[in-house]
Amino acid sequence: MFGFSTHTYDDEGFRTCNVTGLTIHRSAEDMVKLYGLTAIVALAIGGVFAFFVAMTRWELVSLLSPADFYTYLSMHAWNLLIFWMIFMEIAILYVGGAFVLGRRLSLPKLAKVGWVVMATGAVVVNAAIWTTESPNQAPLLTSYVPLPSNWQFYAGAIIFILGAVVAALPFFATIWHERRENPNETLPLVTFGAFITGIVALESLVGGLITYVPTLLWRVGEFQTMDPAFYRQMYWIIGHGSQQINLLAMITVWYFLTHVLGGAEVASQKVSRTAFVLYLFFINLGAAHHLMSDPVVSMGWRMWNTSYAAYGAVLASMIHAFAIPAGLEAGRRAKGKGGGLFGWLWSSPWDDPGFSATIMSIILFGFLGGITGVMMGQMQLNMTWHNTLATVGHFHATVVTGTTLAFMGLAYYVLRLVFGRDWALKPFAKLQPYLYAGAMSLLVLMMMYVGILFGVPRRHPSVMDIPGTEFSFAPAKPFFVVFGVAALLAILGGALFVVVAVASLLTGDRFDADSVGDVTRAAADGGDAKPIHEYSMRGTFTLCLVFLATFVVLWGLNWYLLSTIWQIGP
Amino acid sequence: MESPIDRPDGDWWSEKINRRETIWLGLSGGWALTLFGWMLGWSQFGDQNQVGESYKLTTERFLEKVRSYKRAAGTLTVDGEEMLVPHENDVYVGALQWDWDGLPVVLRPGETYRFHLGSYDVQHGFSVRNENNLSQQISLQILPGYEWVLEMSFDDPGTYQVVCNEFCGTSHRSMHGKFVVRDHEPVETGTDEGGGSGGDKYGGWFTGDAAGGPTPNFDGETADRTGQEDVTVTVGGAEDAGSSNVYGPPAVRVSPGTTVTFEWASIGHNIAVESQPDGASWDGHGSLEDSGFTTQHTFETEGVYKYYCDPHLRVGMKGVVEVA
Repeated sequence: MFGFSTHTYDDEGFRTCNVTGLTIHRSAEDMVKLYGLTAIVALAIGGVFAFFVAMTRWELVSLLSPADFYTYLSMHAWNLLIFWMIFMEIAILYVGGAFVLGRRLSLPKLAKVGWVVMATGAVVVNAAIWTTESPNQAPLLTSYVPLPSNWQFYAGAIIFILGAVVAALPFFATIWHERRENPNETLPLVTFGAFITGIVALESLVGGLITYVPTLLWRVGEFQTMDPAFYRQMYWIIGHGSQQINLLAMITVWYFLTHVLGGAEVASQKVSRTAFVLYLFFINLGAAHHLMSDPVVSMGWRMWNTSYAAYGAVLASMIHAFAIPAGLEAGRRAKGKGGGLFGWLWSSPWDDPGFSATIMSIILFGFLGGITGVMMGQMQLNMTWHNTLATVGHFHATVVTGTTLAFMGLAYYVLRLVFGRDWALKPFAKLQPYLYAGAMSLLVLMMMYVGILFGVPRRHPSVMDIPGTEFSFAPAKPFFVVFGVAALLAILGGALFVVVAVASLLTGDRFDADSVGDVTRAAADGGDAKPIHEYSMRGTFTLCLVFLATFVVLWGLNWYLLSTIWQIGP
Repeated sequence: MESPIDRPDGDWWSEKINRRETIWLGLSGGWALTLFGWMLGWSQFGDQNQVGESYKLTTERFLEKVRSYKRAAGTLTVDGEEMLVPHENDVYVGALQWDWDGLPVVLRPGETYRFHLGSYDVQHGFSVRNENNLSQQISLQILPGYEWVLEMSFDDPGTYQVVCNEFCGTSHRSMHGKFVVRDHEPVETGTDEGGGSGGDKYGGWFTGDAAGGPTPNFDGETADRTGQEDVTVTVGGAEDAGSSNVYGPPAVRVSPGTTVTFEWASIGHNIAVESQPDGASWDGHGSLEDSGFTTQHTFETEGVYKYYCDPHLRVGMKGVVEVA
């Protein structure tokens, strides 16, 4: 597809990947290219808007007027949080399903139909946001009723969701056929992760329909009123649910790339799969943490949903936090790639952007995104996080330094292994993950800092002053200088990725190497006979203890800060 | 070897788990229980729990409650600004685009107040911070159609700044209010002053019986500017009004042929014409404007022109130009 590819297929449309040994069918590969490239287009569009948003919040520059700011912010949110992510996730479902199982993509026509419908929905949403005029307001991500947005916006969201459901069907059909043909085989772990991702995605998309269909009917006048409490509860099924698709897809990518590039093995099939099942049961209800500082829902309801549900999912994430690095450690020890406590880590292929992006994604997601997510998900602590810039810091840590970075790592290998093109501008490709991750980390730390310690609100077109009053957030000013510079560097890092991707497609050399990273699949298959659990995982254990200690300290500080506030509640 | 992209062989469920991984599972489970237990414990023994009754009610009903709270409240001037002193310990906060009705208010340290939070239009965020210590801050969601009653008690005297932190429209960032925590002499409260909205003047236009709420700064007097060539009406502010959601003066009398300049003094107001004499063709000014904006109209036809501000009709932002 697109003529960029260098691969040839056999008569039945299959080929064997030199690097992974996977048998790949053209029906799946074409769709991975289509969805992957569309995702990168959305990333580029959203990234352009990131520039305007960040340069408005940095008051030194103050680029946009308030009305424009909200329009640009909405474009930024929808293109990056929704379109970049979901197009990429459909590609990941096809990789995790058809590629890994070595099958054709079932129902290939639906994959094309799904793409057309999703793309239509995305265009409609973008156009509806861009043409917002009073009395309509820019929807941002949440479009909380009864603040009205263009009715086309809700219609576009519904079209996009329906398209995503259609696009997911070929994946489920592929799994169905696999199970019918091989009823006694266990799915590979990556396929299993993708399968759970797909189920969580469907739950979330159904929530989206429950949200947007009545809202559209309300907006065009069919319904007189729309209960804002109902809307919030339904909305967050998709609002947070879509981010949970990101989480699960990202973890699946972690397992995949650490294996292909670093020689990771599965430390324990039982433990990793159980963790995915925990997500299946618990993660959707955990979205209730968005209502921690709301009226209407009772304390019991809030505690229930943020305890049993959230901690079931938190537990799952902590399991993966150990299992993935442990798999890398044990796998590399087994292949003789470094001894000692951290030798396996230092000796890793750090100059491979696929590998460096994956490892930094794991670390930053955990330390910056995961810890903060658990803290703001505690009912009482939520009061100090709710709708401050710290919340924005949290989800940039998860979605950007976590998911986006992992997806960039994957995209580097989609270029090499799927399009068969080596990276153009190689020095920039190697540098890019470090620049992007470093600048973005600094950015999210600044957001969290000004949000928690100065209470700077999110969704303001400026920060320091409140028009018409003497009150201002001026003490936070120095931190916004760091914020502004970090934002510029991060956007540069994101742009560099798009440039490398486009240049590789157009000018990249043919890529036909037999191995990537610093391992070969042959070695992985060979290996010695010692079971994986007998290799030492002491390096990972040490890292995880550092993580837990950081977690406990930050958690304690947050509760201390809360305790200094005046008395609220009975 | 166990590759994540191959189908696992044999009985993988029964394979052993590395000892350190088992320990980590235990630590993680223990930590999850600790998080839960602490949160539960804080709800019993901690001082900060955003827990209180919610009531479903109409916007009109909530507006009435805020109005009667304001009528029953006394007043106290703090640093040149007139503030409410709540009768008994109920404080009503009505959020609207883009203001806080019911604030500013003076509270005593150490006393427990019941905050009644609600909205007149869209969702808002009640974000409060101690001006002297910005990290003492909380945010609570406010939904239209619901009243949320939360107890609060303040030990530290000072000014507490209130901003909205849920996006509520283009002028969201200008939505600001405050309250002051300090000891003060007793203030008479509980007397209902009736709102001073001019009775049946102009057909009761300035009372709560006409469209919208009663106009807070209309005391029954029409400002007489007849014979003057240049007459100015402030949009979104007036001296001693205690609110930016007013026209100043709310009612003005001018001679035929007078050009009236409308001068915006705060953000997010317009002029919608309710009624005008036959033959007159004043369009008002439909789009929302910010402070600094001005518009003019020359009133030729004799009679009464009634107008209001779309977003703030509910809180009584109404006006009259009488041409005589």
